[in-house]
Amino acid sequence: MSDQYDLSKLRTRVKRQIEKAVPDAKIDYCLTCGLCASGCPASGIEDMDPRKFLRYLVLGQNDIILKTNWIYSCSLCQRCKYACPMGIDVGRIVYEVKGMRPKEERPTNLQRSCDLQKAGNSTGIPDADFVWVVGDILEEVHELEPEWADLQAPMDKIDAQFYLNQNAKEPTVEPEEMVPLWKILHTVGIDWTYSSKWWDGANYCLFPGDPEDWEYTVRKQAETVNELGCTTYINTE
Amino acid sequence: MYATLEGLRRFNIPHNFEVVSIITLYAQWIRDGRLKVDPTWNTEGLKFSVQDPCKLVRQSLGDPVADDLRFVIKSVVGEENFIDVWPNKSNNYCCGGGGGALQAGFVANRRQHGKTKFDQLNATGADVVITPCHNCHTQVMDICEHFGGKWQTTHLWGWIVKALKR
Amino acid sequence: MPKGSVLVVGGGIAGVQAALDLANSGFLVHLVEKTTAIGGKMSQLDKTFPTNDCSACILSPKLVECGRHFNINLLTLSDLISLEGEPGSFTAVVRQRPRYIDPDKCIACGLCAEKCPKKVDDEYNLGISKRKAAYLSFPQAVPLKYAIDPDHCIWIKKPGKCGACVKVCPADAINFDDTEKEHILEVGSVVLALGFSPYDPSSLDFTGYGRLPNVITTMEFERYLSPSGPCMGHMERPSDGREPSRVAWLQCVGSRDINRSCHPYCSSVCCMFAIKQAVIAKEHAHGDFSPSIFFMDMRTHGKGFEDYYNRARKEGVNFHRARVHSVLPGEEEDSLRLRYVNEQGETCFEEFDMVILSTGLEANKQTVELAKMLELKLDEDNFVKTDVFHPVSTSRPGIFVCGAAAEPKDIPQSVMEASAAAMEAGRMLAPARWQETVVKKYPLERDVHAEVPRIGVFVCHCGINISSVVDVDSVMEYAKTLPDVVFAQTNLFTCSQDTIDQMVNTIKEQGLNRVVVASCSPRTHEPLFQETLRDAGLNKFLFEMANIRDQDSWVHRDEPEAATVKAKDLVHMAVARVRGKGALPYNTVKVKKSALVIGGGMGGMTAALSFAEQDFPVTLVEQTDRLGGNANKLYRTWQADEVQPYLAETIKKINDNPRIDVRMNCQVEDVGGSVGHFTTQLSDGFSLTHGVAVMAVGGEAYKPEGKWNYLYSKNPNVHTLLEVDQMLIDGQADFKQTAQAVFIHCVGSRIPERPWCSRVCCTHAIDSAIKLKELNPEMDIFMLYRDIRTYGQRERIYQEARAKGIVFIRYDLDHLPGATEKNGKIIIQTHDPIVDGDITLHPDLLILATAIQPRQDSGNLSKFFKCAIDAHGFLLEAHMKLRPVDFATDGVYLAGLCHYPKPLEETIAQAKAAAARATIVLSQDEVPAESITAMVNEAKCTGCGVCVTVCAYSAVSMDEDNNVAEVNTDLCKGCGACVAGCRSDAMTLMNVGNEQLMAAVEAAFE
Repeated sequence: MSDQYDLSKLRTRVKRQIEKAVPDAKIDYCLTCGLCASGCPASGIEDMDPRKFLRYLVLGQNDIILKTNWIYSCSLCQRCKYACPMGIDVGRIVYEVKGMRPKEERPTNLQRSCDLQKAGNSTGIPDADFVWVVGDILEEVHELEPEWADLQAPMDKIDAQFYLNQNAKEPTVEPEEMVPLWKILHTVGIDWTYSSKWWDGANYCLFPGDPEDWEYTVRKQAETVNELGCTTYINTE
Repeated sequence: MYATLEGLRRFNIPHNFEVVSIITLYAQWIRDGRLKVDPTWNTEGLKFSVQDPCKLVRQSLGDPVADDLRFVIKSVVGEENFIDVWPNKSNNYCCGGGGGALQAGFVANRRQHGKTKFDQLNATGADVVITPCHNCHTQVMDICEHFGGKWQTTHLWGWIVKALKR
Repeated sequence: MPKGSVLVVGGGIAGVQAALDLANSGFLVHLVEKTTAIGGKMSQLDKTFPTNDCSACILSPKLVECGRHFNINLLTLSDLISLEGEPGSFTAVVRQRPRYIDPDKCIACGLCAEKCPKKVDDEYNLGISKRKAAYLSFPQAVPLKYAIDPDHCIWIKKPGKCGACVKVCPADAINFDDTEKEHILEVGSVVLALGFSPYDPSSLDFTGYGRLPNVITTMEFERYLSPSGPCMGHMERPSDGREPSRVAWLQCVGSRDINRSCHPYCSSVCCMFAIKQAVIAKEHAHGDFSPSIFFMDMRTHGKGFEDYYNRARKEGVNFHRARVHSVLPGEEEDSLRLRYVNEQGETCFEEFDMVILSTGLEANKQTVELAKMLELKLDEDNFVKTDVFHPVSTSRPGIFVCGAAAEPKDIPQSVMEASAAAMEAGRMLAPARWQETVVKKYPLERDVHAEVPRIGVFVCHCGINISSVVDVDSVMEYAKTLPDVVFAQTNLFTCSQDTIDQMVNTIKEQGLNRVVVASCSPRTHEPLFQETLRDAGLNKFLFEMANIRDQDSWVHRDEPEAATVKAKDLVHMAVARVRGKGALPYNTVKVKKSALVIGGGMGGMTAALSFAEQDFPVTLVEQTDRLGGNANKLYRTWQADEVQPYLAETIKKINDNPRIDVRMNCQVEDVGGSVGHFTTQLSDGFSLTHGVAVMAVGGEAYKPEGKWNYLYSKNPNVHTLLEVDQMLIDGQADFKQTAQAVFIHCVGSRIPERPWCSRVCCTHAIDSAIKLKELNPEMDIFMLYRDIRTYGQRERIYQEARAKGIVFIRYDLDHLPGATEKNGKIIIQTHDPIVDGDITLHPDLLILATAIQPRQDSGNLSKFFKCAIDAHGFLLEAHMKLRPVDFATDGVYLAGLCHYPKPLEETIAQAKAAAARATIVLSQDEVPAESITAMVNEAKCTGCGVCVTVCAYSAVSMDEDNNVAEVNTDLCKGCGACVAGCRSDAMTLMNVGNEQLMAAVEAAFE
């Protein structure tokens, strides 16, 4: 038997809340053509797809929207928006819905990655460890690879032209993966530096749905680079 | 990339620097001759394919950075050893690891999402899949293992160093 | 005195139609075309919907007429550079680029192109094949003159380097010294028929276009299918030339899209275009063929379209209501894979050999530039701005627009607008009619009556239409063996300009005195060939056609040998008929220069004003006591203009115009006569003679019954759209207490009893919903629809409605919405296919978008003028594609809802078009009358009078003195009723008597 929906009054609270945060959300523009669903690898997961998700919003089915865990399968990849005739960014809308979920009801690790990042970096290693690991690995290269004896990994160098961020995964679990990039930068001969704080290139606060957290970490990174006086911020991705 | 670029824009955060991707720089440096690479090391003809990170390509810099990515890979491993995927570049599939999916749990869902990516990469028959993004790297490696793929998932930098002529 | 000439810019079907209408009603026309030949997009099409006519075949006679017309000055390779002056007197500067081949010398032999060493992309074939730098765009091109492409010609780039064409040209026609010319033209008005550009999908990477070889556009596919295209009409896919068997069409590429293409409008034609291609491709295919169309809303809103759609479904065209994100390479060599999610939310994969993108229409660059130069307003989508009440007027007086330059539209609509624009352009110049024209003079006719028959037979390939089935050479050889046949030949296209010219020479050189053309239908082509005979000094009735295409090659495609035998028989019969034919007189009728318009609605009033403002007297007959018809019930147009003020203004103009005799509460009781001189008896006792008649008898709203009743007339809160309009016109209701409104679309439309789409209701319902939302923004509004058909720029209000939060829920015939009542409250049950949920609604207001149907009595009316009606009761025009306002009966025209449901702007355009077509008659002093008339053999006539009784035209009377019948040839239409009725074999039809018919029958069985 089909689900039953009694629409004596359209309950558009969630839709309106999203539209307030995202004025060009265009949820109502949806033509239900299914183009998004046909292009979305997450279609079918949790019996949901981007078209259905928008449809529940249009029909005011707020309980379904707020309850579905499909929002954690939507990777906000925007492939739907890329070709949608109305240019509807389902990922952007999902982001807002993620933020509507009370923190305590969110997937634990998702929230924790952000909380850690807000404290410095996403794996939670102390900044001093990062500085130490960089130095340690560099020393190892100097010892084992004489042809790279002059390799450098500058830290907090003021007025270097380039600032390089560093995903926290490498210093935490596979530090030797940092070396190739140092070698490349060294070969090219650019003037670059790491920072000993807010050095993590990842930004997990984009994912749980709280813009203020996201803003906080990006602001911290920007302040750091501004202080160092670098004119170019290299993202390692 | 997206988190930083879009964050700076959306929250109007003051900054005195421009944000660039290392991929763009690699390509620029190879073109300029500052980074000399030679693919002749690849005597066995290892085949390479690639994942276009959504946040870097579709959501931030578009086809130009995807073209740069391919240019760098081809320069490093040999033009004939690169097998592209379809769809690709700005229209490529998400690996399924992004947007917090890797952190959120729901492992079965994440892998179901990644099945599309797995099928696409598996069809190339490549020995190596280059993933210039950490999230993609973790997810592509996971789905390869989970669905029984044979490729090796790596970053790009190691191969550049391998091909480096100083 | 204004100028008596008009400038028409654009030589596509719209420009050609406008030029012909103007030239035939007494104006000199300068037709400016930017390419080397006229014909435009229509010439590039293979077949046209909904009749499946061969596009070039029905277009070609018009092109040839244009090319040969004494009062059309055809300027190819030309652009309008500037326009100064005022309506009635403009000075236009037209710059003509050099052709480098002298058109007066070129004999179109093609040697220059054959020997030219430079290959370039053929833009006429959209780059899918090559042509030479010396080229002819297509075989039926008018003018049929080669041209040299200066961008690629080796000599022009580097003089002295090539010159191959100069060496081979037998006519010494190559002229590398040709230069640009400027023509300064004094004209009274201007018609713009600038056409459109097909949307280029190259930037949409996800479609695979330009990346995957077997992804092409619909226009490209037309060239693949066309007999004059690069594959000679054999369906091939680009990658390997293999015939595809699984083909997908993706709709709305570059239409209804505000993301990537910035074209928010619907391109109007693509749904039918794709269905037609699917049907035609199925016919082309030699093995299994499985076509699939992926769409959002199926928009088959035109006359005959819904029937066509239903037929396509029955014939195995697969329709998927799903859009596809990306076209992917398939698993087989060069195949393509589509992933789509059906309405049940299931992901499906399907493999195809070829994918065709239904690319939309966009304003072409030339339109934008020209509009800027002419200081014309463009709309948001860069189309030339017009308004509902003035559908062919631009923002600058004296300049008119027609066709797709003003909004995406199909060919019939473009043709209507072309005639309407001709009406407007000519109306203001009426005093100068025939001032700048010349009259065509034919050579003196040879008296052949004492000559022995010398018959010439011309057998047509019709590209591959005939020759792919029938062995035309053997038919030609056979014809040579027939008695009295002294000449026979085959032609690629007998109707092309060069063949026609050659035929004139052949007739003279060979001393032919009878001609047979074995080709297509006399319905479309007989006048052209008859004119050719006249040009050669022969009476035009010494002619016969054998239809070896429609009646042979098309219907016996699987039996080529038997078809060839049949073609020979048909030719044999035609030769037998023509042998016994004689010259007939060119009868004429003196034109009574006045019009009768039946129906006082917007269509009838518009037509009446069009006549009166050219000084032709009009009698306007209205059966009720009120002018305005259905327009009285309309609140506003989709562009939010109120209808009532315009209606009041129009009625005032009618009443104030001394040329218009309005007869209210009046009906037609009887009609006699024919074009140029009708005699009509009205119910008020008045009788009149008139040269032409326009039927604008309107249509009516369906009253909801049975399962479509939806509590109508049972619950006070259930209304039709027109009733809501009445509330809005009255301005009493504010709808503040209405918390929820539900609209049900397609009430009584698109069902077996009434299988047509009523065209206007989607737009009307959506506009009403928007109005309700404006009056009460808190109101929840639900639209229950089957397909939303806001075609063209009406799509904008569909988007606006959604943006306002109006919710659209689709239903289909298997899940009709249900209405029940509980304590006087309405309850609606429906189903949302996307979430697969049953939805219950509680409207305070239920609005039914009911069908438009023909009026019960329009069938009777049509009989007075011997006009046909279609299977659904709408009046049937002479040809659905190219003669949308004419009846098969000469001198009678139609406009408005009696033709098919349509919005006001289209009724107004069609009424103006009807007036334009009628003006061609009214502007002549006399018109041709029937030459094939009945004749009495007085020796056999017994004076029984049966012929007098059966004649529907009152053309036969009794000569009381001699007691024999006599025929008034002015009135006789040659219908043959008297011949059939005569018991003593005394009646015969000239040239189609027993003698000729029996000869043909004997030939058939010889």
